[in-house]
Amino acid sequence: MKGFKFSAWLSTAILCFLFWLLLTWSFAPRELILGVLVSAIVSAFASRFLIHSRAFYLYNPVRLVLLVFYCVIIFFWEVIKANVSMAALVLRPKLDYKPGILRIPADPELKSDYGLAMVSNCITLTPGTITMETAQDEEGRNYYYVHWIDVAETDRDKAGEAIKGTMERWIGRIWK
Amino acid sequence: MDVVDLIATILMVIGLFFAFIGTLGILRMPDVFGRLQASTCISTMGTIFVVLSSIVYVVAHGMSGSVVVKLVFILLFVLGTNPVSNHALCKGAYRSAKPNPEPILDDYKEDDPQ
Repeated sequence: MKGFKFSAWLSTAILCFLFWLLLTWSFAPRELILGVLVSAIVSAFASRFLIHSRAFYLYNPVRLVLLVFYCVIIFFWEVIKANVSMAALVLRPKLDYKPGILRIPADPELKSDYGLAMVSNCITLTPGTITMETAQDEEGRNYYYVHWIDVAETDRDKAGEAIKGTMERWIGRIWK
Repeated sequence: MDVVDLIATILMVIGLFFAFIGTLGILRMPDVFGRLQASTCISTMGTIFVVLSSIVYVVAHGMSGSVVVKLVFILLFVLGTNPVSNHALCKGAYRSAKPNPEPILDDYKEDDPQ
């Protein structure tokens, strides 16, 4: 099979098997055997879509704890802030807002595709901002094109600070 | 009604309030982009708080741990798939729909990264 790597397959199979355990919630032997079989077959097909490099990167306890901390505290707080400002905008008697599409520079420390994808998905998940595209210029710097419902800051760098908040710094600690 | 039920009710009310805000936004906003932005409220804050409320209820009434795991999976899948569809809809709308009000700045058109 084209693009098949054993480490990627093993990593995906472990992840699939953990999902199987959590969903079936049983340790009966036939469930375990069936789970191993199903996750081995599924990950043989799916691993090349899920993992491209550094297969066991996230199986590090420190990174897992950071990831959970990021999702539960940092991301949750950003979502609450953005939701409250969105609610204030929608409940205003007269709708007047200034939409715009801005080019936001990414953190130069953040090189990996997974990190960039996670930052752009988190930007999309906060109401009021949607990432339309990530692009790379000639010098290798990454940019997000972000649709912002109410442009409060036209300077690109300061707008980036306002949109990304502390999210990118924390994702940079997880993915490098 | 004891304290746990009260907490679950309050969390559910917060979630439903933000789902209401999202729906109101979809109805009030004048164009596709505004509606997309408002609808994100439903799938983030609405889902998060409704699931939190259900978790509190399930734990307090001593149901099996597998129910909690399934609730967390619902949350993860909604939060994982929503940005993908939102991003695709936004890009599609950028090519075909007419923005209203006009964006005050549009770096995407100037640079044209595709």
